[in-house]
Amino acid sequence: MDNILKTTGMKKSLGKSLLYTLPMFLITFMFLTGGKPNFSDTASGIALLTVFILVNVLFFFMHFTGKTDKYRAVLFIVFALSLSYTLINNMLEVRKAMYFSQADILECKIPFCHLVIPMMILPAAFTKSIIFPGSIIGGFANISSMVVLWLVATLVLGRGFCSWGCFYGGWDDGFSRIRKRPVIKKINELWKWMPYAVLIMVILSAALTLMPTYCSWICPFKAVTEFEQVTSVESATKAGIFLSLFGGLVIVLPVMTKKRTQCSFLCPLGAINSLSNKITPFTVKIDKSACNECFKCVGVCPLYALSKEDIRSGKVSIFCSKCGKCMDACPQNAIHYGIKGVPSGTLKNFSRNLFLFVSYLFMAVFSAGSIINTFHGLLKFIF
Amino acid sequence: MKKTKIIAGIFWAFLGLIVFIILFPGLNNFSVSVSKLPFMKINPRYTGGEKAYHLVAEKCTLDIRRPVFNGFLKESNSGFVQIDWRGDLPALINDSIDYNGDGEKDFFIQINRKNLKTDLKSFNPKVKDVVISTPTSYGWAVRVGLLKE
Repeated sequence: MDNILKTTGMKKSLGKSLLYTLPMFLITFMFLTGGKPNFSDTASGIALLTVFILVNVLFFFMHFTGKTDKYRAVLFIVFALSLSYTLINNMLEVRKAMYFSQADILECKIPFCHLVIPMMILPAAFTKSIIFPGSIIGGFANISSMVVLWLVATLVLGRGFCSWGCFYGGWDDGFSRIRKRPVIKKINELWKWMPYAVLIMVILSAALTLMPTYCSWICPFKAVTEFEQVTSVESATKAGIFLSLFGGLVIVLPVMTKKRTQCSFLCPLGAINSLSNKITPFTVKIDKSACNECFKCVGVCPLYALSKEDIRSGKVSIFCSKCGKCMDACPQNAIHYGIKGVPSGTLKNFSRNLFLFVSYLFMAVFSAGSIINTFHGLLKFIF
Repeated sequence: MKKTKIIAGIFWAFLGLIVFIILFPGLNNFSVSVSKLPFMKINPRYTGGEKAYHLVAEKCTLDIRRPVFNGFLKESNSGFVQIDWRGDLPALINDSIDYNGDGEKDFFIQINRKNLKTDLKSFNPKVKDVVISTPTSYGWAVRVGLLKE
């Protein structure tokens, strides 16, 4: 009986898990090293090896233990921290400061991130231009690469991008795990529609002003990436908003509620990603015949994507980011990854294995560069 | 029908896997293709607009860009013209600018690079004020606010 995994119902097998990890091992090896690992610099070699082992060990344990979120979250949080480190480090190297100046805007040297994408759509259609002072191609965090990465990830993973690809999500995911029990247990779930309001507001305001208004005025992650130099009351107000929203929605509320409140109540890109859940091949399914309606999944869902009504109707909402927390919590193995068209309760392990391979591959390759860079920086700092 | 749906779903999911496997090695090529799309260029509000005139002095050059008035659905009533100084710049920059090429000087600008002070004297009622005056990696850039002619 000990050999049966509670969460997936499959037999625990070291050989099968190793076999499942082997393709990930080979693909990440190719992507991380280009097929030719370079150990000429000791610190770079150690950093590369550490990240390579970390990525594959986490993936192995996902299969071996049947737990998803527990191991996903490790890489996801490390990704968020290391991406911020990489961005800040790049900023300090290039500009000697975390802020950007007017000259950086005029010279279109601002690193691009996926949160700008919703605001680009209308101006791109009507003015045939991008309203962001970044680089279209080439250089650090260019617009074309980020658009391709986000678009492909969203088409394949849907809102899964928010738990497997977004380099900001790890911040509130991390803080939401600090306390064992939530202090605030009930928040009006109507708030989960707020990102749609924010989305409409920023799309319209960006079109009318030809400015990425969310980045200029709202984005909480400016606090851990880069922000406009404080030279006036306006720029000081912006900095105040960034810090307040970061403190409130990314630190305090996640700690108090054990939920990803920034992702649930603010992020406009999350709103677009949730709509894309309708067209992706992967989904989360509820096997009603196995569910005993204990509603543990509802309690642990970090994005308010599950309600008792959803469980009773056997369908998860479009807010689901496929993080796997509900599956780890389900004692009946009734909630599981699925493939559209495949009835719930069937091909559970096949669907899980395929989804995990696809989503984890994206996160591993997307995050590896910045994690290696961070490890390398830490090693250089220590030694 | 049920079987067809299952097969289509699984095919679709495998397609996702293949797309991800080719995504990262092909990212540069995909990005270059995307960058060639007609709307993939930075809005002139950020680039400062196309170069209209290029003047050469002894140690430095002066670029006067086309005035930028672009708005969302139609042109805006107010905009700016950007002027870039490049090269070995003097401590005190003094230049008279004819931004619209009508042969008449539209404004006189003086930049003190030491105390970062910029003064503007307008000879054209359409010229408003200094919007931005900043040192750049290539020298100095100024944006002067304009009203549409």
